[in-house]
Amino acid sequence: MMLRRAEFWGGLFWLAVGAFVAWQGWLLELGTLREPGSGFVFFWLGLIIVAFSTSIAIGGLRGEGPLLGDLWRGARWRNVLLVVLALIAFGFLFERLGFVLCSLALLLFLMTVVDPVRPTISIPVSLIAAVGVWYVLEKMLLVQLPKGTWIEDYIPF
Amino acid sequence: MDVIAGLGQGFLVAFDPINLLYCFIGVFIGTLVGVLPGIGPVSAMSLLLPVTLSGTPESGIIMMAGIYYGSMYGGSTTAVLVNIPGEAASVVTCIDGHEMAKRGRAGPALGIAALGSFVAGTFSIVALMLVAPMLAKVAVAFGPPEYFSLMVLGLSILSFLTQGSMAKALLMAAVGVIIGLVGLDQINAMPRLTFDRLELVDGIGLIPVVMGLFGVAEILTNIEQQVRRDIVQSRIGSLWPSKADLKASAGPVARGTVLGFLLGILPGGGAVISSFASYAIEKKLSPTPERFGQGAIEGVAGPESANNAAAGGAFIPLMTLGIPPNVVMALLLGAFVIHGLQPGPLMMSQNPQIFWGIVASMYVGNIMLLVLNMPLIGMWVQVLKAPYKILFPLILMFCIVGVFASGNAVFDVFVMIGTGVLGYLMRKFGYEAAPLVLAFVLGPMLENNLRKSLILSEGTFDIFVVRPISLVCLLIAAALLVAPLLPALRKKREKVALDATD
Repeated sequence: MMLRRAEFWGGLFWLAVGAFVAWQGWLLELGTLREPGSGFVFFWLGLIIVAFSTSIAIGGLRGEGPLLGDLWRGARWRNVLLVVLALIAFGFLFERLGFVLCSLALLLFLMTVVDPVRPTISIPVSLIAAVGVWYVLEKMLLVQLPKGTWIEDYIPF
Repeated sequence: MDVIAGLGQGFLVAFDPINLLYCFIGVFIGTLVGVLPGIGPVSAMSLLLPVTLSGTPESGIIMMAGIYYGSMYGGSTTAVLVNIPGEAASVVTCIDGHEMAKRGRAGPALGIAALGSFVAGTFSIVALMLVAPMLAKVAVAFGPPEYFSLMVLGLSILSFLTQGSMAKALLMAAVGVIIGLVGLDQINAMPRLTFDRLELVDGIGLIPVVMGLFGVAEILTNIEQQVRRDIVQSRIGSLWPSKADLKASAGPVARGTVLGFLLGILPGGGAVISSFASYAIEKKLSPTPERFGQGAIEGVAGPESANNAAAGGAFIPLMTLGIPPNVVMALLLGAFVIHGLQPGPLMMSQNPQIFWGIVASMYVGNIMLLVLNMPLIGMWVQVLKAPYKILFPLILMFCIVGVFASGNAVFDVFVMIGTGVLGYLMRKFGYEAAPLVLAFVLGPMLENNLRKSLILSEGTFDIFVVRPISLVCLLIAAALLVAPLLPALRKKREKVALDATD
C-alpha cells in the first residue's frame, strides 16, 4: 500500500537525480574552500536534493499524499500521451519534412484525433495557421525555418 | 532634477513611433494572454523573446514589459466573465467579480478593475522612478557576498510562498540551479553535465525550458480535463462605475496600490500574494464583510489595484540590483542579456535611455491599456468564446516556432518537449515550476558569487555574516526556512497555499 503512494515514487526519482548530480560533482572535482572547483556546487546541491527527496519519499512510506493511481483517475490521459507522441514525431520529422508540412500534419492530428473538431474548421484553421506563420516568419521576419531535407528538391519556393 | 531630465529623455524614446508600436503590440498581446486562460505572460514572453532580436534593445524590452503589465489588466476580464483567472494574479478577482457579473453588474466590475489597475499602475511607475535611482546608489556597494545572500533570500521567499510542501519547493530550486549550471564553467571553462553533446556546451536555453515547463505542461494538464467555461451571457452594459461604486472603491484602490507596490519589490510571487493580501485587508476593514463573496466591488478594486502595483514594483530589484524577483522578470533579464545589457546599479548611468525609456513607455502603456480595455471588452468576450480544442493546437505550434526561432536548433524543441513532460508530471506530483525557473536563471550568478566570495575570504564562510546586508538577508532566509517547522506558522502557510488553490 505504502509503495503505491505518489510521494514515494516522486521522492525516489529525485533521490536518483540528486545522487547522480552529487556523483558528477565529485568527478568534476570539488576543489578547496579557498578555491572551489567546477564540481563544488554540483556536489553540495546533489546532496541537498538527496536530503529533501529522502524526506519526501519517507513521507510517502508513512502514507502521506495521494495514491499513484489517483493522480490519473478520471483524467483523459490518452490525450496527453497522443500529444507527447505527436510532438516527438514532430521533432524527428521537422528538419526532414520541413516546417509547413510538419505543422500542418501536427495541427490536423491534434484537431482530428486528440480533441476532434469539425473538418470544416480543422482543415482551414490548420492550413491558414501553418502557411500564415511560415509566411510571417520566413518572408517578413526573415527567420529561417527548415524546408525539409526529404522534399526540398521538389518545392519551387 | 535628474529624475525629470531622465524622464524627459525617456519620453523621447517612448514616443519614437517604432517604440510606440512595440509598446502597443506588447500591451495588446499582454491583454490577450491575460484574457485567455491557459496561456500566461510567461509563455507569451518566452514566445516573443526571439522577436526582440530584430529591433533595438529598448523596443524589445518595452514590448516585453508591456506584455507583463498588460496581462495583469487582461486577467481580470476572464475572472469576471468566466470565473476562471486569466492568470494567477487574478484568482481572487473571480470571487466577487464573477458574482457581480452574475448579478448583471459585469460592466462596473470590469470598469473598476481597469480604473484601479490604471491608478495602481501609474502610482507604481512614479514610485519606481523615484525609488530606483536611490536604490541603485546603494546597490553599487554590493559585493559578491551581498549578491549571493540576496539571491538565497529571493529563492527562500519564493519557496516559502509556493503552494504545498516547502521541501519540494526547495528541491525544485536546487534542481533549477543545477540545470542553469549545465555547460561550460564560467571560471575555468570545464564542460559540466554536457554528456559530450555539443548543443549543451553553451548551456540549456531559457526559452525551451520556460516554454516546456509553463506552455507545454499547461496544455498537457488542460487537455486531460474536460474544460467547461461558464461565460456570462447577459449584456455587459455600461463599464463606468456609479458614484457610489467609485466612493466604495477609492479606499481599496489606494490601499491595494501601496500594498501591492511594497510586496512587488520583494522576491517571490508579489502580484499573486498582494492580491490575496489586499482582499483579506478589505474584508477585515469592511463594516459589512458578509458582502464579500456576494459581489462586493471592494473585492475587485483592491486586489486588481494590488496586482498591477506589484507588477510595477517588481521592476525595482531587476533594474537596480540586476536580480529578477520572479519568473517574468527573469525572462525580462533574459531579454536584456540577449541584447548584451546587464541590468543593475550601473544601468541608469550607462544606459539611461533604456531605463528611462522603459519607465516612460509604462506611462504610455498604461494609458493604452485603459483605452484598450474599456471599449474592447466586447472583442475580448468573443476571444473567450474560442473553443480550447482549437486554441491549444495553435498555442502548441507557436511554442514550437518560438523555441526553434530562438536558437535555430531542433535540439531546443526536444528540450521543450522534455521539460514539458517533466512540468506536467511535476504538476501531477505537486512540485511547483516557479522556484525551478527562478533558480535556473539565478544559478550561474549564484554559483559565481559564492565562489568569488569564498576566494575573497580565503575559504571562510565568515564573509557572509560580517557584512550587515548579507547577514540580514541570510537571517531572513533562515527564518523563512525554519518557519514551516513551527506548527503555528506551518498552519498559516498551508492556509495561504490553500486559499491560493481555491
